[in-house]
Amino acid sequence: MAASDLKIRDGLRLGLGHLGYAAIAFVFLLPLWWAVVSSLRPNTRVFADVFPFTPKALLPSPVSLEAYVGIIQLGFGQIILNTLLVAAITTIAGLTLNAAAGFAFAIFDFKGKRIILSLVILSFMLPFEAIALPLYNVMRQLGWLDSIAALVAPGITNGLVMFLFYQFFRQVPMDYLEAARPDGVSWPNILLRIYVPLSLPTCISAALLLFVFQWEAFLWPLLAMPSQEFKVIQVGMAAFQQQYGTIWNQLFAVAVVTALIPIALLLPLQRHYVQGLAGAGIKG
Amino acid sequence: MIRQSSQALLVALLAPALLGLLVFRLYPIAIAIISSFYTTVFGDAAFTGFGNYASLFSDRVFWKSLQVTLWFNLLVNPIQIAISLGLALLYVRGFPGAGVYQVFFLMPIGVSVPTAVIVWRVMLSQGGLANGLLDLVGVAPQAWLTSSRLALYSIIAIATWKGASYWMVFIVGGLQNISPELYDAARVDGVRPWQRLIFITLPLLRPALLFVLAADVSINFLLFAPIYMLTQGGPAGSTDVLMYEAYKQGFIFGDMGRAMAVVVVIVAVLLIVVALQFKLLSAREQGA
Repeated sequence: MAASDLKIRDGLRLGLGHLGYAAIAFVFLLPLWWAVVSSLRPNTRVFADVFPFTPKALLPSPVSLEAYVGIIQLGFGQIILNTLLVAAITTIAGLTLNAAAGFAFAIFDFKGKRIILSLVILSFMLPFEAIALPLYNVMRQLGWLDSIAALVAPGITNGLVMFLFYQFFRQVPMDYLEAARPDGVSWPNILLRIYVPLSLPTCISAALLLFVFQWEAFLWPLLAMPSQEFKVIQVGMAAFQQQYGTIWNQLFAVAVVTALIPIALLLPLQRHYVQGLAGAGIKG
Repeated sequence: MIRQSSQALLVALLAPALLGLLVFRLYPIAIAIISSFYTTVFGDAAFTGFGNYASLFSDRVFWKSLQVTLWFNLLVNPIQIAISLGLALLYVRGFPGAGVYQVFFLMPIGVSVPTAVIVWRVMLSQGGLANGLLDLVGVAPQAWLTSSRLALYSIIAIATWKGASYWMVFIVGGLQNISPELYDAARVDGVRPWQRLIFITLPLLRPALLFVLAADVSINFLLFAPIYMLTQGGPAGSTDVLMYEAYKQGFIFGDMGRAMAVVVVIVAVLLIVVALQFKLLSAREQGA
């Protein structure tokens, strides 16, 4: 077989591969694309060309930003700020607490460590939804309902994140510690100068997990904020759907903005997110 | 001295996280179990023993809901895992331009369940995109969300679209852990691609797949947002999963004791299912 024949066959195979991948990507992206297109149309034109379907349905014409102006006027800017606040506090506190615990589990030996560690992991394997209803009672007893604390506090300790740090710190050679400790370097110095810089990639993965957890929270904010004076994005969006279900273009604009913020974070940090999740899964 | 300071440090490092675990995880579990034995009479809690459970087990709505939950999970979990596995196998294949598709495959991770629900609800409406595209190939418009025949399956489709790329990530992690030399050796020995998948990839992926299966089942057993936002358990109870039933009992009918009893039942059934999975799948390992 001539070399040029091989080249053609390889090229053909690559082309077919691209076609297959593009078809699958199309299925994944179609809902998102349609949401973006519809959010850029005037409300009366959202269903134009959809039924019967013409390809024009997938292009925004005429382009209009009326929907985005509309949702800002309805207060979605404030709702986004609220959610960013909750997610930011959770991320910072969650990084500190879970890293500290992960570090302790990785470096120290103490009585009952294995049992406590497996208890931690087991209790966090149970999805948040399972304890949302009884957690409502806990918050009522604490008097935290309708406060930001009720949203933030349960999201801080995160088993997946703790486990991620535990896995990471276990791989750091003990030589670092053994070299620094006898020289009289204090613990805060060891932590801040050696372990924190080393763990920065893990911190990025962990921060993404914590942030996305709060950004996507729905059932818990629905229960924990009965008066809904402080709205977060997912609940605000669901309420919008129930109230203004036929202002389609604004509904889509809300959906696009809600998806855009985590996607904007995930795309540049994709590798970290994937490694973070995958690392937590396989070595368990 | 050193030991003392280390011990203080250990407590300082561990205490906040363990306190969080105690107050926000373990205590609620205790509350759920305890309050499932109480009922509310004129605003006061009154002990009823197994009263809530007895009334649940004699309630046809509860049995229907359990049945819907099990059927939903029997379908959604294998579908999601099969699709995630397929995606993961495509994801790890390197070829010129593959990076673009990797990004596309990951996109739905950034989309929350409520966002997915809102977009899909309009797509699945009577004059929506789904019916429009099906019309091209001559299929009559369907009432995707408002017929008791289709609603549950539409929710399965939405959950799968949203979930597949998330679970794919875990499987990709497992795939990347398999040494490429194994594949090279197999290729030299003339092993066919599908044989490589069955005899090398899948056995070595077992830990990752087992984790994904357990985690996916847990999430889907407790799925709430799509039912709350789309169907409220209807039409005719066809999507009334246990988690929505618990919410309804507690926050619409105001019967917290009964709601907690439902939650306890969900978690008990979930634990049995996950334990069974581990037992069955590790038993197969011994046989092999």
